[in-house]
Formats: sequence, structure tokens, C-alpha cells
Amino acid sequence: MKSAQGRIKPSKRKTIIRSVLALGLALASVSAVKREDFKTCSQSGFCARNRAYADIAKENPQWASPFQLNPSSLRLNKGVLTGDLINVQEDKQPSDKPALAFELHLLDTDAARVRINERSPIHTRYDGVQDTVLVKPYGHATEGSYQKLGKDENGVLSIQYGAQSQNTVRISSAPFKIEFLVNGVPTVLLNDEGLLRFERLRNKEESKVEEEGEKQEDEASSDPLVEQKAGGNDIEIAIEKSEQEKKLEENLWEERFKEFTDSKPRGPESFGMDITFSGINHVYGIPEHATSLSLKATRGPDAPYTEPYRLYNLDVFEYEGDNPMALYGSVPFMLGHSKNSTAAVFWMNAAETWIDVEKSPEDKNGGILSWIKSKKAVHPTATKTHWISEAGVLDVFVFLGPTHRDIFRQYASLVGTTALPQAFSIAYHQCRWNYNNQNDVAEVDAGFDEHDIPYDVLWLDIEHTNGKRYFTWDEAKFPNPTEMQESLSSKGRKMVTIIDPHIKKDGDYHVSKEGAELDVYIKNKDGSSDFDGWCWPGSSQWIDFYNPKARDWWASQFSYDKYIGSTKSLFTWNDMNEPSVFSGPEITIPKDVIHYGNVEHRNVHNLYGTMFHSATAQGLAHRDETNQRPFVLSRAFFAGTQRFGAIWTGDNVASWEHLELASPILLTIGLSGIPFSGADVGGFFGNPDAELLTRWYQAGIYYPFFRAHAHLDSKRREPWLFGEPYTTQIREAIRTRYTLLPFWYTLFQEASVDGTPIIRPMFTEFPEDEAVFGMDDQYMVGDAILVKPVVKSAVVRSNVYFAGNEKWFDIKDYSVEQGPGFKDIDSPADKIPVYQRAGTIVPKRERPRRSSKAMENDPFTLVIALDSKGEASGRLYLDDGESFNYEKGDYILREFKVSKGVLSSRKVDEVASGKNSFAEKAGGLRIERLVILGATAPLKKVAVGDHTLEVNCSQFGGSYVCTVKEPQVTVGKDFDLSFA
Amino acid sequence: MKTHSVCFPILATLALSVAVTRANVNNNTPRGVSPSNAKLYVPDSGSNWSCLDGSKTIPFSAVNDDYCDCVDGSDEPGTSACGTGRFYCANIGHTPSSIKTSRVNDGVCDEECCDGSDEYDGQTHCPNVCDEVGAKAREENDRIQSIQNEGARLRRGFIKYGKANKVSLTNELETLKGQVDKIQETLSDARAKLDVANEAQDAYLEGSKNEREAARKQQLEPIIQEQTKRLKYATEVRDMLRLTLQNLKEKHNKNYHDLAVKGTVSGFDEYIVAQGEKTETAQEDSDISSDRQFDALVDETSVVLRDIGTLHDLLDGMKRDYNTEYNDEAVLVAVKVTEDFEVTWDSSRLDFVDVEHLVLPEELAIDNPEAEKFKDETDLAQETFNDASEKQSKVQEGIRDIERKLNMDFGPDETFAQLVDNCFDFKDTEYTYSICLFGDANQSSHSSTHLGNFSGWEGDNYDIQMYTGGAKCWNGPERSVKLVMSCGTKTEIVSVAEPEKCEYLFKLQTPAVCPVPQDEAEDEGDAEEQEQQSVEGVQQEGEEHIQKHDEL
Repeated sequence: MKSAQGRIKPSKRKTIIRSVLALGLALASVSAVKREDFKTCSQSGFCARNRAYADIAKENPQWASPFQLNPSSLRLNKGVLTGDLINVQEDKQPSDKPALAFELHLLDTDAARVRINERSPIHTRYDGVQDTVLVKPYGHATEGSYQKLGKDENGVLSIQYGAQSQNTVRISSAPFKIEFLVNGVPTVLLNDEGLLRFERLRNKEESKVEEEGEKQEDEASSDPLVEQKAGGNDIEIAIEKSEQEKKLEENLWEERFKEFTDSKPRGPESFGMDITFSGINHVYGIPEHATSLSLKATRGPDAPYTEPYRLYNLDVFEYEGDNPMALYGSVPFMLGHSKNSTAAVFWMNAAETWIDVEKSPEDKNGGILSWIKSKKAVHPTATKTHWISEAGVLDVFVFLGPTHRDIFRQYASLVGTTALPQAFSIAYHQCRWNYNNQNDVAEVDAGFDEHDIPYDVLWLDIEHTNGKRYFTWDEAKFPNPTEMQESLSSKGRKMVTIIDPHIKKDGDYHVSKEGAELDVYIKNKDGSSDFDGWCWPGSSQWIDFYNPKARDWWASQFSYDKYIGSTKSLFTWNDMNEPSVFSGPEITIPKDVIHYGNVEHRNVHNLYGTMFHSATAQGLAHRDETNQRPFVLSRAFFAGTQRFGAIWTGDNVASWEHLELASPILLTIGLSGIPFSGADVGGFFGNPDAELLTRWYQAGIYYPFFRAHAHLDSKRREPWLFGEPYTTQIREAIRTRYTLLPFWYTLFQEASVDGTPIIRPMFTEFPEDEAVFGMDDQYMVGDAILVKPVVKSAVVRSNVYFAGNEKWFDIKDYSVEQGPGFKDIDSPADKIPVYQRAGTIVPKRERPRRSSKAMENDPFTLVIALDSKGEASGRLYLDDGESFNYEKGDYILREFKVSKGVLSSRKVDEVASGKNSFAEKAGGLRIERLVILGATAPLKKVAVGDHTLEVNCSQFGGSYVCTVKEPQVTVGKDFDLSFA
Repeated sequence: MKTHSVCFPILATLALSVAVTRANVNNNTPRGVSPSNAKLYVPDSGSNWSCLDGSKTIPFSAVNDDYCDCVDGSDEPGTSACGTGRFYCANIGHTPSSIKTSRVNDGVCDEECCDGSDEYDGQTHCPNVCDEVGAKAREENDRIQSIQNEGARLRRGFIKYGKANKVSLTNELETLKGQVDKIQETLSDARAKLDVANEAQDAYLEGSKNEREAARKQQLEPIIQEQTKRLKYATEVRDMLRLTLQNLKEKHNKNYHDLAVKGTVSGFDEYIVAQGEKTETAQEDSDISSDRQFDALVDETSVVLRDIGTLHDLLDGMKRDYNTEYNDEAVLVAVKVTEDFEVTWDSSRLDFVDVEHLVLPEELAIDNPEAEKFKDETDLAQETFNDASEKQSKVQEGIRDIERKLNMDFGPDETFAQLVDNCFDFKDTEYTYSICLFGDANQSSHSSTHLGNFSGWEGDNYDIQMYTGGAKCWNGPERSVKLVMSCGTKTEIVSVAEPEKCEYLFKLQTPAVCPVPQDEAEDEGDAEEQEQQSVEGVQQEGEEHIQKHDEL
């Protein structure tokens, strides 16, 4: 393999001239992203080896996995099955090498976990991901909640488990294979393709001998006489190794990429395994990639991609669409869905990971379809995936649902749900690299008021600091940051400043100095000196957030007396935390640098950003005694990031393509457990024209995290700068977001409890409608709002799919569409298609205000969309929006329901004991208006108790829109309101 | 800007407001309605009321019932229910004002409502600070007033100067134009004499033409050959540097955001653009004389040498400042090329200039008294012609300069004539900015960057000027300056900002935009005597603070 490209080191002028001429002639059009800065699978040793193994297996129809479980070693105890796993090819004698340890855990949440690790390796394999990613030690299925069904005639062991005993796991010993079945239907299969491969740790010397020995054999094998030497009992060795087989032994130790060398002192330690989603043709998840929601194949005939999906957090400049390249964050969670089944896996590994996806038209296991094949003549399908990680322990969770809601809950119970955010943080954020000085900030702030556009947060990028020293201010530009924040705060607004994990190497900079004194920086590969790299401030060091002392120290930097010029209305933005290292391989830190506890970075790379994010959130939460929720935005992410704050999709581009890309990327991140995410409205790089910017605002108001941001070199684009009609269109869009804030906040609360995504792919709301399985150009906000962004220039008609058999109501003019089916809908410059689904109730606050804080005491409107049975339901969650007091029960959660002509409001799940001081304060907030959509006749009388209310109805198409003024009810008390 | 209307009340309005506020309190005008609109908020005989747009009739009790009934929002002038109307604040002790009803009871004490009447729901207490704010505003108003008075006095001086200047320029122009014919006549005579002399000389020389040209050709041939060689070498070097920069531009790692590299690449882009503007005219013409052939070669060589200098400056700038830690291959190659270039160039450059700089030798003299005579006569005619020509261009230049000034838009009353070509500096922490009014604007630190030339006024108020067409930015537009003026007693730049990259905002205070009361401006006769005195003062002061262009 030629991973390192030749560097030009000319020594004479003529040579230079020649080389430059050659380079000059070779100049071709250069794409925006510098692809050559980032590895392909073939440039990443372990990926190439495991993929070669898969090639060998797939080319051999007789292929069988060499792994076997020793049947006599299997023990099932308290929900855990253990046993010895042997590779019969490598371990000629069972005593040659210790067997691998196999574990299968049945969890109390109906999930299962499979682990494969080395027994007593020469170094400890890193197994610490669980300590930071799992929220708490989970419970195992109790004895009695599962049942060993014994072995069948082929020696296959079956265990039935799950709350309704709906799940079965079948363990085959030889060859090793695990099948998960739901109601008897094979759904998730491990090692069904036999791609399990596990590189055991070894000594370099021993390995060299082996390699040399093999080389000699290679050379000698052309001599037929030598074949005899190998002996007749092992034909494999005697046969000349194929190209693929040679690849299995390449780049085991030191590895080069461009001018960088990865020293790999522990040598090869990767592993891989195939996971088949049987009977399932669509798989989703494994963010972050700029690709479609339903993942495209990377292997097999007609596969659109040739590279596997890569999970390796990287700072990618102007990334491209439709590409499986790694981006800023990683979540090794994949969900498969078909009309009849839904299942997911979580591959718990934070090292570099590659995933191949192959769509198989033939499913030898049949899946659900073989089960129902007698009824329908459909071709069974399967999605075969191949997971490859560089280091650590093979550790995979399997979730069988049965519904996707169950899966989200099961997954969230392991890695956590989204933290309930500060209420302001789901409103509109105004950002730019950079707002230049205090005066600039004041003028932008005043601009919003002058143009009557609401916003909540003004952001300051790196230029606000003194020479990129975080926690400091450029005093010439920001002489009085406290006053500046207080001025914003007086209007209910907040400020966010950027804090990155690279610390400028400067003995006079207090953070740098303290960090050195406390010895909290990441170390070079020798483990003694501090790693030194380049980022914004020049020569910098990176905090080792794996060191508990470093985390606490970092958190303490956010106290008001340390972060001079910070106030309680200041929050934080963590950028460059992949980490981005300008001078490093693939713009990140070398893999062989050392963390606390002598842990090599390669084991934990994808988690680094999250550890930083978490320490920052901890710092904000504890900077004073007021029990406030933190708000921290991060660029890098991993499974579990949702517990610490929001993320955004990094440095996108002001292009229609990137506007279009945002939907699938955000939907994918959301279904992978991180609902609080957004893409920069307007696009970071470049200059959007007025139409693109307006369309992006219209789409962006339906991102969970809604921020506009722009690059230093781009033109100003505050919402009013393009003039009319754009200012009015953008104002209208942002105000729409503000009217829907109660609905969004309620969705966040729901997500914080059960892990349900906030913006949802169509298939999660319409799981039986195959037409929507691949759909990612329209989506749902919660269960109620359908959004179809306009992502092309000059488009004024949009083809919208109305799913289900119910009506849909335009949220602006209440016009009605009937599902199911596609329909062309007007989408003129001032609106995109947004519809409320029949059967839902959406709580709103309709008064235009300048910030979300200013809406705190405003009354509510309920928009009730009746379904064909005259029913609807919805929720409203409210709390103080900023503290953790909700944990003590200080909140209001109401369920609204319309059934049989009665609108009822009932308290849900409120902590009964103790005093609910929030309900006392806010319980009197009125519902000032009801808007009832979908009535088949005008409402004649609406009454609460004996009191008859004013109601106005107007006909709209085949149904009526009725408005009830002042229904005389509040959000604090139960009520029943009848209409006829 | 917005606060100005609030902060600087006119006393008469204030008195009025006190009176009407009382009225407001006394009758039953709904909350938030201004006295002038009170008549619109009266119930009809049936205690009903119609929305102001006439779209709907509602009970009068529904006005300000904290529910939005009217599409136009007119039923809720005192609550936030509609959020689209205006809420009136009486602001006793200051001046009345109004805010958007969306800001009523929003928890913010709006500055515009110094009486705190906008927050009445008990959630937020806003103290009445109108006395204090009013006093401050009046004080500020006085201060502004005195500046404006003084500014107006100074501006009258500007106007007077401008008008007088226009008259004197017009006179001067007439005088110059009067001279044109006579000068032209003299010039024509001189040219005729010169032509006669030249013709006589040419006729004399024609006889020995071939002989002389052959001699000249022989004389120049080795020099031309040498120069051709040098040009070829220089061109190769130039092309090598170009390729180096082209390669750097395409291949450098943009992730590093190395400003030295970015600067060099942008400079190269500018070079390429400039290059494209030059039309290639170098044509081989075998018929041209050896002299012209040599001249063409020298010209071409100097162009290439200048290019080499430019390209080397770009590379050298990067070489000095680039970040050595990035190990960006494309940058390293460029630096290496530059280093190698410098070593070899320093010695080879001597060939071009120092040691044996090629010059066109004198034609071998022909020793002949007759020839001498022709030459003397021609020289004399030439000298006479040159003198006349110089005189003519001087007058033409004078006319152009005056016409330029006369054609400039100094405002309807010629106020800005006083300021034309006056230059002002502003220093901030990094740069010194300078602008010469109606001329150009620059930014300088160690080197100077052109920000633009005066391109005109913006709007009709004669208080915003645009300077455009400055040096092009990396990845951005040509630099430009928007100069925004406000009234002050002294002409000076008070701030410079760069709200977005390469688009600068200069704020200039000057008496030239101070409001001059209408009656004074029109009634100049009466003020004549008074102004006579002040003009001197103005001019003195003007000279004190106005830095002349020459001094820069």
C-alpha cells in the first residue's frame, strides 16, 4: 500500500523548476473539500485488512467463519451467558492461545449486549468507553424473565427473553453465529456472513518473525519442492497467497499517511464483524455523514459508494454532499426498519470505525418475509453491514423494539436522553465570525428591535478574545463585557462566547500556566512531554479531559471570578473539539498521543469532544449556586452528547445543496439519540443571495437548534440587510418559530424523558407506509407538524407527500389536504409547505415579542386539528425555563384531549408530593384562544361549565375553522370544555 | 438615532404634552391611546365600537380586554394582545413617546417610556425616570444646540468661501481660456518652423541613409542579441515564479488559515487580473529599425523584470511570515523555490543592470560642418516648439483643474468647496486611515492599501460620500469606503469601522453638514456684516485643523 505520497524535496533550482512545471501542468479543477487530506479505507491499515478479509469471504461460496464457541464452556447465570470463543484457523491447538471471552447479556430493558474480548492479553485492551458513555450500570434481566429453550438438533442454543417473551436469541457454536428473533422472525444476525475477525495483541518481535517467515514462504512457494515442507495436512499455507490474503498482514505496525507517521507501538488490535438486518431494506443512523437518511450501499453490485462510512471525528473544510467521508461527530448507532420490523444496534466503540453497507436482494434467512411468504409473493431482502474498529473491545447492543419508540427508549436508557435545555436556547441565535466590537454588538442588537425581529442570543466567535486566549477579552474591542451582557440581558437576551480545547502556549496566560502546573495536557507518545500542536492561537496544547483533575479544573474556569467579564447570561460554544489540530494528520491529533491512565488516543478519539463538552457543561452548571441549566454548543459529538447540550453540523456552505443536505443530516443525528441539533442558517462559507437566505430561514425555524452564522470573509447578512420583501419574509419565519416555542419546548421535555427524536423522519410516524422509508426531503416536528423545506431556487410549487388517511391543515391559512398521496402545493417566496396533522393539538403563543423571555407571561393558543373521528390530543410542558427545579417537580405538564365533543385538560405525571412553586406562579396563565380545525359543521355552542363562550366559525373547503375567544381556562387547572 | 427624537424635546411640545396628558388622565381614553387619537376611541350609541379599519364591530368593552379582535390590531392599544399597534407613553417631565404594543408588559423597561407606564401588569416594576431623563435630555439638547449654532456659523463661512471661490474660479477659467488661442497660434508657428527644419535635415540625410543604417545595424547587432538572451532568461524565471504561485494557490492547505499564505495567494490573484488587462502587443516586425528593435527589447525586459519583482515580493512576503509548523507541502515548495531563486537571482540580476547594463550607444558621429548646421537649426526649432508646447499644456492643465473643481458637486450652496482635497487621518490600534475629500482613501501600517476613490454622493442630503474601486480583497470585493458626516465644530474623522470585510465605514464630523436656519441662509444681505467677521475666524480655524494633502 502506498499511503504516503512522495514529498518534493528539491535541492537545485532546475529540479524545482521541473517539479513546479510538472505540478503546474497537472493542475486540475480542485473540489472544495481537500479529499486527499483524509484517509480512504485503503489508506487506513486496519480498515484495509478487515475489508480484505470480507473480500476473501465473499468471493468464496464455501466460506465459513473460523470462529467456534466451545459448547462445554457456555454458562448462563443471572441474565449473562459466557463462553470461550476459538479461532480454529489460528489456534491449531486449543491451548495455543487463550480463547477469546464471549459474553451475552440480557438487559432489563429487553435489549441485549454481546461482548468479545481477549482473555489476558499482553496489554490491557481499552474497555473504558462504557464508563463515560453509559449513564449508569444497567440491570440484567432477572432470572425467570428469560427462559433457556435448550439446544436443537444442530446444537443451537435458544433463549427466550423480553417483557412479553417476544424475543429469542439463538447461539450457534460452529461456526459461531448469533441470531436475534422477534416473535420467531430472524431480525438481527451477528457473524451470519462470517466476517468476525479479531486481531490479538502481540509483541513486535514475535510478529516480525511471523511476517518474515511468511515472506520466505511467499518467496519459496513458487518452488514446488518447498510445498512438501509445509506438510500435507495444511494446504492453505502451501498455496500461494492471493493478493487479498497478503493484505491481511499489511501495515500491522508503523503506518504512514502523507507526511505523518503513526507509531502504533502496540501494533494491530482491530476487529470487525458483520451484522445483518434480516428482512430489512432500509438502515439509518451512524452520523455524521453528508448523505441521505436511508443509507446507501457501499458494497455489492451497483453500490453508489465505494468507500465504507467512516466514523472518525474530523474538522472537514467545506464538506461535500453525497459522500460517506467522516465529519465532525460519530454515533455508532444504526437502526433498520421495514414494514414489519424495526431493530437497531449500538456498536459501543470510540476508536476509528468503518462501516460497510450492502443491500442484498436475497435474504437466505428470509426475515419476516419468509414468515409471511405464503401470503405474499415478495422478494426477501436483507441489509448486511460490516463494522470495523481499530482498537478496544467488541461490544455491541442489540435492540429489538418491537417499535422504534421502544428502541429509542431502550437506547436512551443506556446512553441517556437529551438534557432539558435552557428555554432561550431553542429560540433564535444570531452569530457571525465575528461581531467586531461592543459597538457592533449594540448596533446588531438594536437592529433586531428596529426591524421588530425577535432573537434571543448574540454570539461572539474567536476574534473577541485576546489573541485566541479563551476566557479573555480583546480589551480594545470589548472594554466592558459585563456591561455589554447586562445590556442584552435587560431585554431578556443572552450572549454566547466561544471556548475551544486548545490552549495557547504562553506562560503569561493564566489558563496555560495553571494547566502546566496541574499537568493536565495530553502527552506525546513517549508519555512524558506535553503534546504541542497548531491551532488558531499558534502553538497550543490540548487539555486531557480524560484526567478527572483536568475536568474539575476546567469546570472551575467558568466561575465568575475566574472568567473575568462573564455574567450569568453568558453561555458557551465549544468548537474545534474533534480535536482540530492544524498541524496534525487529517487535521486532528496523532493517534499515538497519550491520555491519563496511559490510554492511547486511538482508543478514545471519537469521545474526546464529548468529554470536553461535558466538562464545560459541568462548569456552567456549577459557576454559581442558582441551580441553572447550562447551555453549551459543541461541534464534535458521540453517543451520549445529548446529555451535555446541543450540536451543529459544522462548517457548511451557502449553497442550495447544503440547504438540502441539512434535513437528512439532522434527521439522522436526531434518530441517533441527539435531538438538539441544527445547521448554520445561511451557510457558513460564502454569500447566500436573498432568496437562498430566506428559504434557509424558512427551513431553519424547524431545526431544533436554530442559529444563523457566517464566515469572516462573507458579507453581512443580518435578517434585515437584504431589504424588502426579504426582511418581511424572514421576520415572518422567525416569528413563526417563536409562536411555536411552547410546542418545541414540550417536545424537548418528551425527548428528555424517553429519548424520542424531536424532528422525525416520516417513517417513524408512518412506520407501515413504504412510500416514506427513503423520504428525507420532508419530515415531522414531533407527531404534529409536517415540514417540506424548499431547497431549490425559483421553486414555487412543491410536491408534498401527505401520509396516512387523515387530513392535514396548513398552519398559516388552515387550508386542508387529505392523505394519503403526493400533491403539488404552492410554495411562494413567503412560505414553505407546513401542515398540522389531524388528530393533534399544538400549543402556541401568538403574541409577537422581542425575545422568548419576554413571552414568559403571555397566554396560550391551542390549535386543535380534529381527525375524522372528531378526536385530537396534545401536550403542553412548562417550567421556569432555566433552572433544575423541574427535577423537584416544579413544572406543569398537561395532556389535552378532544373526544366525544369534550376538550379536556388533565395533569400528567406531576410530582404530587411537595409544593410545586412553579405551578403556583404560572398556573394562572390563560389559554386565550382555541382554534378548532376540521369540524364538519360550524360549532354552535362552546361552553365551560355553565358559561357559554364566544365562537366564530368560517367554512374552509369541506370543513370549518372555529375560533373560541377567551375560553376562561388556565394551564394550571384541569378543565372540560364542551362543544356542539 | 432613534433615541434622538426622544431625548431632545422641543420645549413647546413638552408644554403641550403636559396639558394633553392631563386631559388623557381626565377623560376615559383607553390606555395606550395618544391624545390626538382619543377621538377615535369613543363608543357608539349602542356601546359598540368599530375596528379602525372598519373590518369588524365589537362591544366597546372589548377594547383593551387583552384579546385581539381586530385584524388591524386597533382594539388593543394598551395591551400586547395584537402586538401591532402603538402604545402611547405620556412621559411627563420629558417628551411623550410611543412604543410598539408588542413591548407592553414584556418585562423590559423600555427607554422610550421613561414614565414606566409600559409595564403595568405587576410582574416588572419600571420606575418613572422622566424628570431625570428629561433634564439630561434638555442638557444634551443644549449642548447639541450650541454645537449646531457654532457649526452653522462655521458653515456660513464655508458657504461664503464656496460661493466666492466659484466666482474666482470662473473668472480665472475665463482668463485662461482667453489665452488659449494665442498660445495655440504660437505653438502652430513653432511647429511649422520645426517641420521645415526637420524636412531640410531629412532631405540632407536622405542621401546617406542606407550607409548610415547599415552601419547602425552592425553597431547594434551584438547588443540586440545579448538583450534577446537576457529577455529569454528573465521570461523563464518569471514563468517559473508564476507556476510556483499557481501551484501554491491550488495546492496549499486551506484548513490552516495561514494569513501569510492567504495574502500571497490573493496578491497573485490581483497580479493575474492586472495581467489580463494588459493587452499583448509585442509583435515581431522585421522592417523596424535596429534602434526601435532594441528599444522594444529593453521595454519588454523591464516589464518582465518588474513582474519578477512583483512575484518575488509576494513569495518573499509569505516566506517571512508563513507558519513553519504547518508543514504544508505546497508552501514548503514555494519557499524552497523562493530561496533558490534569491541565491541565483542576486548574481544573475547583475547581468541586467549593474555590471554591463546595456544602453543604446550614440550613433557614430558624422563629422561634417554642413550636417552640424542642419542639426543646430533643428535643435533650435525644437526648443522653441517645446517651450510653446509646455506653455500650452500648463494652460490646459489649469483649465482642467478649474473645470474639475467647477464640475464637482459641492452641494447646492457650495459648502464643500472649502474641503476639497483636504485630507484627514484617523489612527486606531492597528492602522492609520486617511481620506482626502473628493480624492482617495487609504489604509496604512507598514505599507499602504488603497481603499477607493471618490465616486459620488449617496442620497440627496449631501452627508454621505462613497469612495470605491480600492484594492481587491482576498476572496472578496474591491475595497470601498462609505463616509458618513455629522455636524461638528471641527472637521475630523471620529471613527473607522469595517462592518464587513473590506467595506469601511468612516464617520466624519464637520461644520459642512450643520443645519443652517433657513431664513439666515436665504437672507444673506442682512447677515453680511456679521459674516464678514466670522469668515476670517472660520478660515483660520479651517487652516488649523485641515491638513493639506501635500503634508502627507
